[in-house]
Amino acid sequence: MTSIDNWSATCRDFGALYVTRPDFSKQGIHLSAYLPPEALLDMAQKLKDEGFTLLTITTAEFTEGFVVSYLFDSFTESSRLALRVLLKDKEKAKVPSLYSIYQGAEWHERESYDFFGLIFEDNPNLVPLLLPHDLAGPPPLRKAAGALSSLKAINFQGKLEYADPDFPLAPEPQEPAELATISEAATETGPSSGNNEGGA
Amino acid sequence: MDLSLITFVQILVAVIAIICLMVANAVVMVYVERKVAGFIQRRPGPYEVGPWGTIQAICDSMKLLAKQIFVPANVDLVLFFLAPVLAFFPVLLLFLPIPFGPYLTPWKTPDGLVLILAFAGFGVLSNLLAGWASNNKYGVLGAARAVSQSIAYEIPLMLALMAVVFQAGSLNLSVIVEKQGWVPWEWNIVTQPLAFFIYLICLVAETNRAPFDLPEAESELTAGFHTEYSGMGFALFFLSEYANMLLVSFICATFFLGGYKGPIIDGFWWTIIKAYAVMVFIVWIRWTFPRVRFDQLLNINWKWLLPLGLLNLWITAIIIKVVN
Amino acid sequence: MASWLNFINPFTIDDDPGTYLGDFYTDNFEKGAQKGNVILNLGPQHPSTHGVLRVLVELYGEYVLRSEPVLGYLHRMQEKMGEVKTPYQYLPNMGRVDYLNPIAWNWAYAGAVELLAGIEVPERAEYLRIISAELNRISSHLLWWGAFVLDLGGVTPILYAFEEREKINDILQIVTGSRLTMNYFRFGGVGQDGDERFFALIGEFIPYMRERLKMYKDLVTDNVILRRRLEGIGPMDRDLCLRYGATGPILRAAGVDYDTRKAIPYGLYHKFEYRVPIGPPNDNFGRYIMRLEEIEASLTILSQAIESIPQGKHIIDKAPKPAYKLPPGEVFFAVEGARGQVICHILSDGGKTPYRIKLRAPGFSNLSLFAEAAKGTILADAIAILGSLDLVIPEVDR
Repeated sequence: MTSIDNWSATCRDFGALYVTRPDFSKQGIHLSAYLPPEALLDMAQKLKDEGFTLLTITTAEFTEGFVVSYLFDSFTESSRLALRVLLKDKEKAKVPSLYSIYQGAEWHERESYDFFGLIFEDNPNLVPLLLPHDLAGPPPLRKAAGALSSLKAINFQGKLEYADPDFPLAPEPQEPAELATISEAATETGPSSGNNEGGA
Repeated sequence: MDLSLITFVQILVAVIAIICLMVANAVVMVYVERKVAGFIQRRPGPYEVGPWGTIQAICDSMKLLAKQIFVPANVDLVLFFLAPVLAFFPVLLLFLPIPFGPYLTPWKTPDGLVLILAFAGFGVLSNLLAGWASNNKYGVLGAARAVSQSIAYEIPLMLALMAVVFQAGSLNLSVIVEKQGWVPWEWNIVTQPLAFFIYLICLVAETNRAPFDLPEAESELTAGFHTEYSGMGFALFFLSEYANMLLVSFICATFFLGGYKGPIIDGFWWTIIKAYAVMVFIVWIRWTFPRVRFDQLLNINWKWLLPLGLLNLWITAIIIKVVN
Repeated sequence: MASWLNFINPFTIDDDPGTYLGDFYTDNFEKGAQKGNVILNLGPQHPSTHGVLRVLVELYGEYVLRSEPVLGYLHRMQEKMGEVKTPYQYLPNMGRVDYLNPIAWNWAYAGAVELLAGIEVPERAEYLRIISAELNRISSHLLWWGAFVLDLGGVTPILYAFEEREKINDILQIVTGSRLTMNYFRFGGVGQDGDERFFALIGEFIPYMRERLKMYKDLVTDNVILRRRLEGIGPMDRDLCLRYGATGPILRAAGVDYDTRKAIPYGLYHKFEYRVPIGPPNDNFGRYIMRLEEIEASLTILSQAIESIPQGKHIIDKAPKPAYKLPPGEVFFAVEGARGQVICHILSDGGKTPYRIKLRAPGFSNLSLFAEAAKGTILADAIAILGSLDLVIPEVDR
């Protein structure tokens, strides 16, 4: 059992909505997991305890909402994890700030606040970082409705480990054969036993 | 004090001559400093204006003369303009007791050293006023540094000079030179090496030159107390910096290096040569060393120079007592 | 206060509340200084901030009680430009993100695109990439070295550093065609093959630089004032780096063996044998020594590279054209820049231009730890710490 398997299982413990294992040699990450926003802090704390660092935060806007990707890396082993949050309500999008765990997140979050207008709750200094305070118009990296892509247009390759049926990226329900058996088991038995299943 | 009319006229002539000397010295030293810095940094230095760039310094001073004098908002106008004047003019008086040559002493006063040490305080005052009056936080920080640095370093400087005074038995600078011989081993640098060493460090600190240029530390305080000065205001600070350098170099030559005495014929040329050798040394270390930190600067003074200076004074006093 | 009093008291400020606008870029300093303290604004134009960085500090005497860097004075919206230009058009921007280390950024972007599109790079091109990247790393470290000693008040070393940097620029100019904002990489290779003169000059440069490093040690590193200014100042331990995402020499000085070239090998770095310097000491002196030793490591890589470079093409035959479209997908690509880990994150929906580009600048994360590291130090030390982070403001602001 590799540590990536462990992290995959942990993500599902925290109620991950969509977990994939991308090919590291093609995408540069080992694990990609969409978490519910309320689980983000706990997960980050766990990563911090294991010696992971937060390298960067990428926000992108899709038709389904904002996706905030947190890229974590460990100094001791090669395991790069992308934890993501999908915020469906664009107008009232709020994410918990990681400031209390990773103080370096403050600036990355302020950058997303600048570019997308995302509100990071409990960020101690949520004021413009890179842009002028009196910039007119919508946040500059927000896209016009016509220019938006859906999440599915971005081909997030990788082996699917678990998908919540309601998640936009989840495969169509009429083709259940493509789902991995593990994820099926996890959906039936709930997240608590997902750890054992994922670790097996 | 026998301040007769003749002495007065003598001093007046001397002051005018000293002003010329200070200005000429600044022009020469700007050129020397740039050329020495260029040599140390493996670049040519000024070479475009005039032969070997000799007219560069004059062009620079013309530029400073023609520049607008910028006055920031909310400055204290009186002090703002008084400070550069105070920086420049008291230095004139400090040159008076220095024996440039056997017959070329502006004012042969028996209290020469007292005069120098008393008026040297004006330099600090001008730095303080400049920093305070220019309504600038860098200026205030620079002024605070200038005051604590100058006051701290005046003490070991005085102690070092006092040891020489003990030895010569006089505060009169001419007498101090007369007591030294014309060959290097008869100079006070041989009998007072520790005092010379202390004086050399204090001299750099007193003139606010690198590595002790804390009041104007460029990378920390932009330009310290003279941040807001431009044009002639800046030029006067500049002139006074070089004048102070010249002064401490002359004092160094007088007290430790035999003054106007030299191997062939005694004369002012020996004073000049020795003083400029010291100046080149100051320039040399400026372009070689990084800057010390402020607490380190004060530690060097209070923990090392001051006890060493006192010790030196004691030993000198005891030896004089025993020998006599 | 009456206006005539302004004449006497230089610190009288206008009482009209309309004239006081406050600070838009930080809430932390809004309330002003505590009694007896001074809030000092270092920058945006200040000799020690190496560009247009503004650092707000609250001083108690000379002690820094708190500080906060304020960014954005050189922000050029590089990420937005990446979204409106095709990948090929966007490539020259990479030389301008970090003007001191353009090759690393070239590599980050070209590498990300190649990874996403599945483009194979010829072996000779990989060698040329490593040669140019290591030369560029040396030149970046050299300039840092000079500028850092300048921060400490030593004026001369930067001119020595520039002399060596000129030599590197002369070498890189042969293949890249420029001396500062180099745009050398192409998708599938490099822009130009190195000629005989290129390799001959590198062969001359390696022993020359080794001699110079010895001289640097004698002249600058062993200077007692410099040692006293660096040793024990600004310690940054592993936990601090971890919380702020600091990478590069700062992280390695903290004793963490993490170099992207070894941890996540890219290019052909796995073929080379070199030692990545690791701390402690984790103070300013440690970071200083780390960078000087990295120059030596880069020289080792260079000497191996010019000995073993194979013959072949410098770019693939069917290299992407300007109108090249990225396939849909997502990629993270990390390279080790001179300042730390440079990451290019591309999200593509298969359109003409990438859907979203995120550039992770190492200096951005490194600078964010300044406020914590500088707390309680003396102003001069805070400036030394700022210098030891090796900031390039265009990279921080992007």
